[in-house]
Amino acid sequence: MPEQTSIAMRGLGWVLAAMGVALLAHVRQLPAWASVSLLVAASWRYAAAQRGWALPPRWVRTLAAISALLFVLAVFRTVNGVQAGTALLAMMAAVKLLETRTERDLTVLVFIAYFLLYAALLRDQGITRLPLLLAGAFVATAALHRVHGGAAGGAPVTGLRRTAALTWPALPLALLLFVLFPRLPGPFWGVAVGQSSRTGLNDEIMLGDVSDLSVSGAVAFRVRFDGPIPPPAQRYWRGPVLHEFDGRRWRRPLAQSFPQQSVTWIGAPVDYQITLEAHDRPWILALDLPAAWAEREARSTYDFQLVARQLITRVTSFRLRSYPAYVAGVELPTSLRNRDLQLPADGNPRTLALGRELARRHADPTAIAGELLRKFRNEEYHYTLDPPRLAENAVDEFLFDTRSGFCEHYAAAFTMAMRAAGVPARIVTGYQGGEFNPLGGYLLVRQSDAHAWSEIWVAGRGWLRVDPTAAVAPDRIERGITASFADAPTLTRIWEGSRLVGQAQLVWDYVNDFWNERVVRFDERLQFSLLQRLGVDAPDWRTLGLGLTVVLGAFFIGLSAWLAWTYRPPERDWPERLHGQAAARLARRGVTRRPAEGPVDYLHRAMAHCPDLRLDLEAIRELYVALRYGPAPANEDLQRLKYKVGRLRP
Amino acid sequence: MRAWILRRQGRDAETVVLRRGRIYILPTQLGVAYAAMVFAMLVGGLNYGNNLGLAFAFLLAGVGLTAMHHCHGTLEGLALGLHTTESAFVGRRVAFRILLANASVAQRARVEISSDDARAAPADLDAGATVESVLTIAAARRGPVPLTRYEVSTRHPLGLFRAWAVIHPDYRAIAWPHPAPRGRSPPAVETDTGGAQDRARGDEDFVGLKPFQFGDPLHRIAWKSYARGNGLHAKQFAGTDVTSYVFDWDSLAGLAAEARLSQMCRWVIDAHDRGEAYGIRLPGTTIAPNVGRAHREHCLTALAVFEVPAGHA
Repeated sequence: MPEQTSIAMRGLGWVLAAMGVALLAHVRQLPAWASVSLLVAASWRYAAAQRGWALPPRWVRTLAAISALLFVLAVFRTVNGVQAGTALLAMMAAVKLLETRTERDLTVLVFIAYFLLYAALLRDQGITRLPLLLAGAFVATAALHRVHGGAAGGAPVTGLRRTAALTWPALPLALLLFVLFPRLPGPFWGVAVGQSSRTGLNDEIMLGDVSDLSVSGAVAFRVRFDGPIPPPAQRYWRGPVLHEFDGRRWRRPLAQSFPQQSVTWIGAPVDYQITLEAHDRPWILALDLPAAWAEREARSTYDFQLVARQLITRVTSFRLRSYPAYVAGVELPTSLRNRDLQLPADGNPRTLALGRELARRHADPTAIAGELLRKFRNEEYHYTLDPPRLAENAVDEFLFDTRSGFCEHYAAAFTMAMRAAGVPARIVTGYQGGEFNPLGGYLLVRQSDAHAWSEIWVAGRGWLRVDPTAAVAPDRIERGITASFADAPTLTRIWEGSRLVGQAQLVWDYVNDFWNERVVRFDERLQFSLLQRLGVDAPDWRTLGLGLTVVLGAFFIGLSAWLAWTYRPPERDWPERLHGQAAARLARRGVTRRPAEGPVDYLHRAMAHCPDLRLDLEAIRELYVALRYGPAPANEDLQRLKYKVGRLRP
Repeated sequence: MRAWILRRQGRDAETVVLRRGRIYILPTQLGVAYAAMVFAMLVGGLNYGNNLGLAFAFLLAGVGLTAMHHCHGTLEGLALGLHTTESAFVGRRVAFRILLANASVAQRARVEISSDDARAAPADLDAGATVESVLTIAAARRGPVPLTRYEVSTRHPLGLFRAWAVIHPDYRAIAWPHPAPRGRSPPAVETDTGGAQDRARGDEDFVGLKPFQFGDPLHRIAWKSYARGNGLHAKQFAGTDVTSYVFDWDSLAGLAAEARLSQMCRWVIDAHDRGEAYGIRLPGTTIAPNVGRAHREHCLTALAVFEVPAGHA
């Protein structure tokens, strides 16, 4: 019995390795308890196989399975969605390991490993996933082969070589299927993303919180302009607009039932394509202010924010038109005016007083704004990403005490002061700036470019953008976020200042962009344009069908040919080959050589069977024996044998 | 299905080389599960517009299809032929030793043969190797045990597909009658003084030792000589007065037909073990007295295939 178990458990090590690679693909997102459970179960099962420990009884396993399910449900409140599903899958693998004793159990584990790898791709399709995908598929297939391949999978090297023979033909096939397989306009059913763990803009600002966006170098989006790239001062990428203020927190109101406001466009438009990384929110970060977009993809809110019709859960791109110059919202409805004048009943008294004081001094809202900006510029205000914590009256504390903060602080203080002065004002969040990549010809905007500014409403002129941060740190606007800390020579700065590293970063981002544009976003449009470039005049679904048929046919033929070569007979020398030819001819008379029959015995049997060929066969036998076993095989004997065999007519 | 395959292929010659046309292949349960998994990944990838997920599904589909070809290729070109059959008494198992010859430069792994009643352990055939695989079948009834159909199959390399070929040979082993219990002694002793016997078969006077050969009766082994470390020898006797038996069907009147055959079977075994010459006489068949393994099998086979005449049931 232990013998049998060890045969069945032959592939256990490989199966655990496959599970390990699959776990590696999830290690950043999977809750620690799930990873640890799986690791513990795997280590225990391996030790049990080595030491011959008994597996736990059925009730323990059932209990483990039920508690794992309940635990996942308790933590996630669902088993739907990538996160909960992955955690559940990992826990089920851990439970399955407790009862793994047959080939079938091991196979189930390999299938779970395949699924875990797949789930990792649902979460992240970056180019860095590619090696993981290939390695995972390879190791899992090696495990499957080890379980089912017999002694062939014996020595690790042999097993790996055989697995390579099984996987390499799949690579070109997968590539061609990828290009040719019809892309259906999905989704067919709702997309459950579960809790988001992706970085991106939130639709609220909490003063005093630490912003993690500003320090993240992750890519937010990339933009390709049809024409020249707008100057840095115009690169405001518009995100959620915040209206509600409770003294500390700025929020986007949930109810959005305000009438659309009119806009007059000025000057030349900017046409561009924006490719957003997945951020699990619907915001499209359009250049301030978006004028045209595809209606079925997006809509605009009353406060000019562009919102996608679906959450952006994967890399998505949009074609947009914006006008950097505009007159927007000249008519302000009372409801909206009231909303953008709203202030909490109490709190931040000093800022309120400042606002009222400014309103007394100036009638013109732009003059009030100018006064505030002068205050920021001339007094001792600092721009820092590491501001002191703020307590109850956050705006007061920032404006009069700590006097250091980043864009959110300045925008929040400015907007509140403007409201206190009786000027409708709101905060716009989004991104500002971007870095041009000359390799790819696109503008790259990172999460660290996240920004917040204000808009004030002036009678007759509509909404005006005011960026109070520009008053404090003009470099932030003109040269990007890293430039605004030029006086702080940290290690990071020295590292990033290196020309070589800068170039490498550009190249790496270009590779990522290429991957995003050509692979991750590969769709029907790109598919057909690729086919057109390959010379197909008007590609449609029939072209794809034909292509798929040809590809599969070629795959089958090629693979058969390769297998025929793999299982080819060994190379034989001339006497052997001629004997084989003779045997092939004699087979027509029904005398086939038996598996264990020697060549001479065979000829004898053929002589008995075909008396009419007796003389010929006798000669063939003698020549064969002389060539094969004789002391000095003569060339003329070989010629004679060739002649004899050639003349053999059974 | 079976009849269709038989009609399609016809009966097979002694040696069969598996060609493309006669190898069948279908996914196993695991293969179906694998296909369902890949399909789910495909649909998910299309639904979520997840291109990398799609690529993963295509990769796994490619691996599956490659495995299918490998499974088929494992059998294609394999040669099969009968090595020997082993007959046995009723109640034991007859054996068909089948040779699997791999005349290629690559290993063919996990090839197994099976029939309706028997299954041999999977064999790994190295490049150029010939391996014997044994199907044993319980001998339930006296007479020929035919093997007219067996399958050679493999699930190599991933267990996702099973490729198989059906062979229709014309093999037969013999199930000898079940020997009756010891007790009844042979009724008649015929003394044959004819010169047909050579001296080695006498047992009157000890003349010397000769090297032991299979077929020599066990009781003639010179155990003392063996104990002295001289190897296995048989004692030789000389004499013209050779006792030989002829076991006669008619001498067992009163017993049922099968019981008579069992009894004769027992006598044959015992006489052979004692090294005596014996023959049998059945209605319509007579085998003259002789000794040796071949003679024993000859007699037992005659008993096994004997058709009881009408009226003797």
